[in-house]
Amino acid sequence: MTAMGKTYVKVAVVWAVTLAGLYIFQAYFTR
Amino acid sequence: MSVIDWTIIAVYLIWVIWDGIRLSKNTSGLEGYFLASRSLPWWAIGLSVMATQLSAITMIGTTGQGYAVGMSLLQQYYALPIAMIIIAVTFVPFFHNARIFTAYEYLEKRFDAKTRSFTALLFLFSRGLACGAVISAPAVVLSVMIGLDVTTTCLLMGVPTAIYTMFGGVQAVAWTDVKQMYLIIGGLTAACIALMLGLPETVSVGEALRIAGTTGRLQVFDFSTDPSVRYTFWTGTIGALFLFLSYFGTDQSQVQRYLTAKSIDQARSSLFMSAYWKIPLQALVMIIGVFMFLFYVFTPPPMLFNPVHDQRVRASARAGEYVALEQKFGEADAARKAAAEQFAAADRAGDRQASDAGSAAFNAEERRVQAVRAEAVTLVKEVSGDSTYNDINYVFPTFIVTHLPVGLIGLLMAAIFAAAMSTISGELSALSTSTVIDFYRRWIRDDDDEKHLLMVSKAATLFWGVLASVVAIWAAELGSLIEVVNRFGSFFYGSILGVFLLAIGWSRANSTGAFVGLITGMVVVGYVTIFTSIAFLWHNLIGAVVVFAVGMIVSELTGPRKPQSAVRRPQREV
Repeated sequence: MTAMGKTYVKVAVVWAVTLAGLYIFQAYFTR
Repeated sequence: MSVIDWTIIAVYLIWVIWDGIRLSKNTSGLEGYFLASRSLPWWAIGLSVMATQLSAITMIGTTGQGYAVGMSLLQQYYALPIAMIIIAVTFVPFFHNARIFTAYEYLEKRFDAKTRSFTALLFLFSRGLACGAVISAPAVVLSVMIGLDVTTTCLLMGVPTAIYTMFGGVQAVAWTDVKQMYLIIGGLTAACIALMLGLPETVSVGEALRIAGTTGRLQVFDFSTDPSVRYTFWTGTIGALFLFLSYFGTDQSQVQRYLTAKSIDQARSSLFMSAYWKIPLQALVMIIGVFMFLFYVFTPPPMLFNPVHDQRVRASARAGEYVALEQKFGEADAARKAAAEQFAAADRAGDRQASDAGSAAFNAEERRVQAVRAEAVTLVKEVSGDSTYNDINYVFPTFIVTHLPVGLIGLLMAAIFAAAMSTISGELSALSTSTVIDFYRRWIRDDDDEKHLLMVSKAATLFWGVLASVVAIWAAELGSLIEVVNRFGSFFYGSILGVFLLAIGWSRANSTGAFVGLITGMVVVGYVTIFTSIAFLWHNLIGAVVVFAVGMIVSELTGPRKPQSAVRRPQREV
């Protein structure tokens, strides 16, 4: 995989982690 | 505001003009003026792109939205990182290798001059007017807060921006954006910390957030499939994907920025800065709104946040009704505060049953507060005759001028000015580029006299700056009319994306197909906007799909372009 290909994967992983973090934030503070 | 705060704003305004003019030394020739000689580093472009998006409307309108309804708007940004990957793979190499100044120039290389000029004209029309709105909306609010008239406030935003953009070109735009972005982030962070420190000592930040959570203000995922609901996970990930593809892939204000990069990979990296940071940054803006709500749960808020309307009703024949409402509001607010404290105490004690009861009691009191406020808003509408009255945009500025210490007020006001100016400068530069490259050089004077073209470019920047300021002053008077005009602009956003997708993704597409597709897409989106309740984030998807489908069919019927004559695919970068 090229360096830029790895960057695309990194962007997608950070995106998924960000959304997961927001979901946990919502679940924790909203009962 | 104190002398110190005014001094901070004045120093900022003087510095931004000086800094822009200082950078004018590096703008020789058209490529230097419009594309910074394709020499900017990725991180500066990335910050500049983010600064352009973060307008003063975002700072005061989105925080107000967070205060009133919470963080559901955040879902609108969920597709942005995916859009950036798609743009990095598709649009960026095509634009870079085509060695163009504007995105629309590419359409002539691929289709014809008619398609290029029409899309460029749509851009000039919509962005020219939107630029006025970018100045007027915050100027109306700030003028009330800082005690200046609207015209002076519009000019304070518009004139310095026009000056540094005119002299420094895109180089000045990008580097001042970088510094303005630091100021904006610093200001927002300071406001967030001040709000957290403003909570009562007995209530922790976690407990306060649970209070906000119980009202639904922390809902950042809504999986509703109702197409009329504006912000859901689906509008944010599917509908907004097309909005971002359209904005970052085809809007000259964005395309121009990554055309200033040294290489394709640098351009891609600049886009990925937004991919990483846009959602967290927008979350920061919205959580400030939520913390303002919490702050005003424990600190008595004004019943209405727009002091002008407040004074007008007090001076009217119905002042008695207003005072009675204020008393009712005070009682409801005190009861809400007591309910919040009880809820926080139950939460702290870990008593689930008491916590549930506290949550229900708090929400009941919150509804009572909102009901009294709604009565006050109705009264204001009747007295003022302004049926569109809405004071959400006044919440953040009111908090700044009434609860922050001297110095921080000036810093936040300068940050709001910076947010407005960083957006306007990017738009002015893009408007000027399209005017000169897509029209003046294309149709009027196609020669290599760089000195003359540079002079015309600076004149075009000044022209758009003056026009934006005039439209802003006019829009401040006409309010809702400019909203209609701006909404008209959204009719063709998705359609323009459709033309670019057709150009890049369908090698057999011809100019007739592209043009007919574009017109059909605009008509369909116009129809959907006016006659259906489909949420606006879906409009871009509809426009793009219609243009692409119609463009393909018409191209096939009218003699498709031969694949071998299609634009050469970009070479791998060395």
